[in-house]
Amino acid sequence: MKHYSQRPGEICDLSDRPFWKTADAVDLAYIGYGLIIVALVLISYLLGSFNLLLRDPQEIDLGLMMAPPGTAGHFFGTDFMGRDMLSRLIVGIQAYFLPGLLAIFIALFFGSLLGVAAGYWGGTLDTGITYFTNLVDSFPRLVLILLVVAAFKPDIYYIMLVVGFTNLPVVTSLIKGKIKFLKQKNFIEADIALGVPTRTIVLKHILWQNCRSLLIIQATLGMAEAILMETSLSYLGFGVQEPTPSWGNMVQSGANYFMQGKFWPSTAPALAILFTILGFHLLGDGLNNILEGSKSS
Amino acid sequence: MMAEPTLKIEDLRTYFYSRGKQAFIRSVDGVNLEIAKGETLGVVGESGSGKSITALSVMGLIGAGPGVISGKIRFRSTRVEKDLLQDLENFVKLTVKDGKITDVSKDLMGWERKTERVMKDLRGREIAMIFQNPKSSLNPFMSVGRQITEAIRLHTTAKTESEARERALSWLDRVKIDSPRLRFDNYPFGLSGGMCQRAMVAMALACEPSLLIADEPTTGLDATIQSKIVDLLAELKSELGVTTMLISHDISIISRLSDSVAVLYGGTVCDFGPAREILSTGLESKHPYTSALLASIPSARNIKEKGYLQAIKGDVLDTINVPAGCRFYSRCNRVTEKIREKCEHHEPDLREIGSGHKARCWLFFD
Repeated sequence: MKHYSQRPGEICDLSDRPFWKTADAVDLAYIGYGLIIVALVLISYLLGSFNLLLRDPQEIDLGLMMAPPGTAGHFFGTDFMGRDMLSRLIVGIQAYFLPGLLAIFIALFFGSLLGVAAGYWGGTLDTGITYFTNLVDSFPRLVLILLVVAAFKPDIYYIMLVVGFTNLPVVTSLIKGKIKFLKQKNFIEADIALGVPTRTIVLKHILWQNCRSLLIIQATLGMAEAILMETSLSYLGFGVQEPTPSWGNMVQSGANYFMQGKFWPSTAPALAILFTILGFHLLGDGLNNILEGSKSS
Repeated sequence: MMAEPTLKIEDLRTYFYSRGKQAFIRSVDGVNLEIAKGETLGVVGESGSGKSITALSVMGLIGAGPGVISGKIRFRSTRVEKDLLQDLENFVKLTVKDGKITDVSKDLMGWERKTERVMKDLRGREIAMIFQNPKSSLNPFMSVGRQITEAIRLHTTAKTESEARERALSWLDRVKIDSPRLRFDNYPFGLSGGMCQRAMVAMALACEPSLLIADEPTTGLDATIQSKIVDLLAELKSELGVTTMLISHDISIISRLSDSVAVLYGGTVCDFGPAREILSTGLESKHPYTSALLASIPSARNIKEKGYLQAIKGDVLDTINVPAGCRFYSRCNRVTEKIREKCEHHEPDLREIGSGHKARCWLFFD
């Protein structure tokens, strides 16, 4: 008894194609660039943490102060104390990498926790959580960080705790919105009617299967946010302290010589900041367009 | 005398509190139903007559919002026997002031925990449900096969992945999905509405439930697919003999599949009896609403004879200000002078008017 006409393969042609064949070329370029940046950051982090650098970033060479880029042995030149710029740039990643991950973890973990609570159970819980996130959102972030720095000490981990905490509202509202949207599509109700345990529904069917891409995107954006925070605070002198190199304090110390025509000590880390943050943002944007955009159509 | 029914609903009332109007919306207001083992009960009624809310009440899916529920839902199968609504009323507190309900507060957590406890071993395993919108009732990010496999692993003896997979495949075949092995890995958006509904049917039946609730299984599908889904349901029904509560506003579907029929109006059952008796045209001994409903079905003969399609005059019952008398009084065309007084002021109860046929109408009571 064959009374239907679909042949296998006919209707699913489009949906079965891998995403890189259906996606926009611009988005793919974004993602490609972003992935290169992520890879560079990762490699540099590993190089820095296993001390595989050609030159010691702390080694002072007073005979070779302010050597321009391209000087033998110093690809990016040296700074005002004759320290190798390249090594310092690579080691500078240590300043934000792990703390940045901590900030991302805090934002994503607690953000999804609150988001699920508000979106899935709703009611007064939702109201309470919304008040809380609005409260957090209304604090100026820098002021909050300066408060923490003043109260404890200028440690980058303390700062990243605050960064993660202040990122909570974004993640919470995104997850909440997504769940409210999913609840309309009543497959959650169907799940309940099927007797699927609540834990499985929330963790697997909602968070893992439907919010996964959203969380990845937030993670990349969170990293960009963390880098920007770290560098601006270090630039102001509240973050990582000399002599430990960080991109922020490198820009700051190099800036004094900028007007004398010695631009590289400040420009190199500034460009590094620019390209890295751009990379993370473009990666997030590209992923967003591909993973989230296509589903809504 | 029939054996104990699988599902017996006694005086089910599901109200929702409207803060704006400070009154209850009586979505379901005294429903009495029973479904014998292996039988199919068709539930018909207009939009807003409480069909779906009845089904959701049985599944324990009335949770959020200040709703009240009372009555008894007795469920009985070979393994369990329980009242699904036991003590659920205790979680709602009413504040009444000058005869007006000023506030309803509900211990939502307690309510849900209680429902959870009662329904835990029933949902999916004993009572399965098919929803109206197949496409949105499936998880969009999970392949159809995996969803069925998950249900099978949760509720049947097939606990290993491969065993459950085999069973899921055989079920996909059984609901006549073409080349199940290929479809197994498809996501819901890659399937047509009809195929999604077949998958839903497979998912519901794969756990071998004692009771299947099909809430308008054919809405949202076009006419040809509808009839195929109905064919499928009819076939599976005769094969498996699963007790079914079929909810639909489409009388043709009800008449194809049901053994008995309940007609809902304004949140109550106004006519209940064997399908043959209730859905036959011309028989006078049934509720005026049922007769009017049947007369309003477009059919070649109906239109030829009268030249137009008969509609029931008036609007659907206002479920907030429920009239004191018969709910159908204002729209009824069979009120006689003899009973008018009673119709207007006294609500008739559901009484037996024939063998196994109950109706709620003063016409038949003396």
